[in-house]
Amino acid sequence: MLEVRKLTKVYDDGTVALKEVSFTVPDGEFLVIIGLSGSGKSTLLRCINRLIEPTSGQILWDGVDITAAGQEELRRIRRQIGMIFQQFNLVKRHTVLTNVLTGRLGYTSTWRSLLGLWSREDRARAMRNLELVGIADKAHNRADELSGGQQQRVGIARALMQEPKLLLADEPVASLDPATSHSVMKYIEWMNRERGLTVLCSLHFLSLARRYGTRIIALRAGELVFDGRPEEIDDRRFKEIYGDEAIEVEIR
Amino acid sequence: MSERSFYVRWGRYLLLVALAIPLYIWSWRTADINLVDLIQGAPKARPIISDLVRPSLLARERVTLSVSAVVRVPCDAPPPEPPPAEGPTLTLSATCLNARDSLVVSGSGFRPNTPGRLYWRVAGLEGRLRDEPFETDAQGRFTVETDIPPLLAQQGGDHTLEAELKWEAGALRPSETLRTTIDKMIETVFLALMATTFGGLVAIPLSFLGARNLMPTTPWGTTLYVAVRSFFNTARSIEPLILATIFAIWVGFGPFAGVLALSVHTIASLGKLYSEAAENIDPGPIEAIRSTGANEWQVIWYGVVPQIVPPYVSFTVYHWDINVRMSTIIGFVGGGGIGLELQRWINQLQWNSAATAVWAIVLVVSAMDYASAIVRERLV
Repeated sequence: MLEVRKLTKVYDDGTVALKEVSFTVPDGEFLVIIGLSGSGKSTLLRCINRLIEPTSGQILWDGVDITAAGQEELRRIRRQIGMIFQQFNLVKRHTVLTNVLTGRLGYTSTWRSLLGLWSREDRARAMRNLELVGIADKAHNRADELSGGQQQRVGIARALMQEPKLLLADEPVASLDPATSHSVMKYIEWMNRERGLTVLCSLHFLSLARRYGTRIIALRAGELVFDGRPEEIDDRRFKEIYGDEAIEVEIR
Repeated sequence: MSERSFYVRWGRYLLLVALAIPLYIWSWRTADINLVDLIQGAPKARPIISDLVRPSLLARERVTLSVSAVVRVPCDAPPPEPPPAEGPTLTLSATCLNARDSLVVSGSGFRPNTPGRLYWRVAGLEGRLRDEPFETDAQGRFTVETDIPPLLAQQGGDHTLEAELKWEAGALRPSETLRTTIDKMIETVFLALMATTFGGLVAIPLSFLGARNLMPTTPWGTTLYVAVRSFFNTARSIEPLILATIFAIWVGFGPFAGVLALSVHTIASLGKLYSEAAENIDPGPIEAIRSTGANEWQVIWYGVVPQIVPPYVSFTVYHWDINVRMSTIIGFVGGGGIGLELQRWINQLQWNSAATAVWAIVLVVSAMDYASAIVRERLV
């Protein structure tokens, strides 16, 4: 269980990105975070694995306080938390296979990884994960030769390498076309349902949130303004989240 | 567009032009621009230019023949016996001389139609006195009138007169100039390679300190960043020519001085380029690698290095190319390489030889330019 308590983030320039955000995520949940650009979705996700240091508040995961973890412990926690990104964040010049293998860095000694001496099991695991996302034939291509959707699938394979218990997905489909979006979202859904991963996924489109989320939280200017089931978001709530001017657009 | 803004806009243009005209007049005068000189002076440059298009590349072997005769000064002792006449011989109008007497020297049995020089040897020295040019006729004869140089007249005794003929014979071979040029060009390329390597090796660690995104935003980090960046900018603005002059005094003339001068310049120049490349890396992959639980070494090796290697290599190759071009010039002030020879040839007005060096530089620099372009293209 993931417990976020009064999480606050104030950036050096004084921007308040998160204001005392509290919520709880039971294991196995597919939690979707919605909100406008700049509402604090990315900051929230990055505070959970401390890519961004929270200013105050606590994050407890299965009773362990992530916010209080030292460097070594933090790395042990991070390797159990997979993350995928809007811009895929692959190392463009490396092969697809190497990109996937970097998911094992947290489990590999420094010198073995610097020499590229990946274990046989890790290589086999990488190929299995690439097969799973349907791009095993691209294993030896350079990452930047792949299409956007394929690159995000490499990102998913990389996250799977960590054998994570929790997946953080930061706008995973915002750079993709609608059809590709669904194929990527289905992989995430599969990880949630078949592998039992807890998923925290930020999304722009409410329609995608409704379709995939088991629960939705909404942020507005760093504050939690909604926490409930997808079907609870009606017109009034929608305007609370996105502002009075907003009109809902569908992505099918 | 309203009428007012139309006038404002054109008013601004006119003001700009009104300011630019006196500026240009002043600049033209200060720069001493004189188109008449440019056209009228052209004939003076013609011999140089015509030599520049005929670089010295091939030459036949040179054969030197010298024949000597002895003259006694003054005419109070019995004259020396003339040597037996065999092959080319010199015949003197007199075998002894007093100061200011003139002497007619005729030669026979020499190679026909060949230029030569007649001179007095100074005993025990390399020097030649008088040094009169002549050319043999179709029968291999020549006649030169000379007199005894005062220096030799004072000393008295036997003095040697020598006629020397030089001509080219045998197969065409690379000229001395071409061989020196190739030698020195290789030295230049290697000199530039060493300077690029030393400069690059120092610039890599410095460039991390000069990259805003890699330095912490603490007061110490900012100070170090500003210090490194200022060093890059200052050192870059010092001409390698000046640095070479200093190092030529420091370690003596030669390629090593050139290596040092170019190294310093390369540190500053590549340091700045490297820092800017490091500042432009995508933070995304670094974040992604860090999120897998990787430690800092792994983050650098898998997140930072793959992103900086291509620009770093490409800048380095590019700078090698620049250093080859620069090292041709720093030779002028004692930095070794082709520049030293080029300067010597220019000073001795040997324009054919200078042309060889100039063309070699053009060739090597364009070849390097082309090669570095290919390497850089492959890396992107």
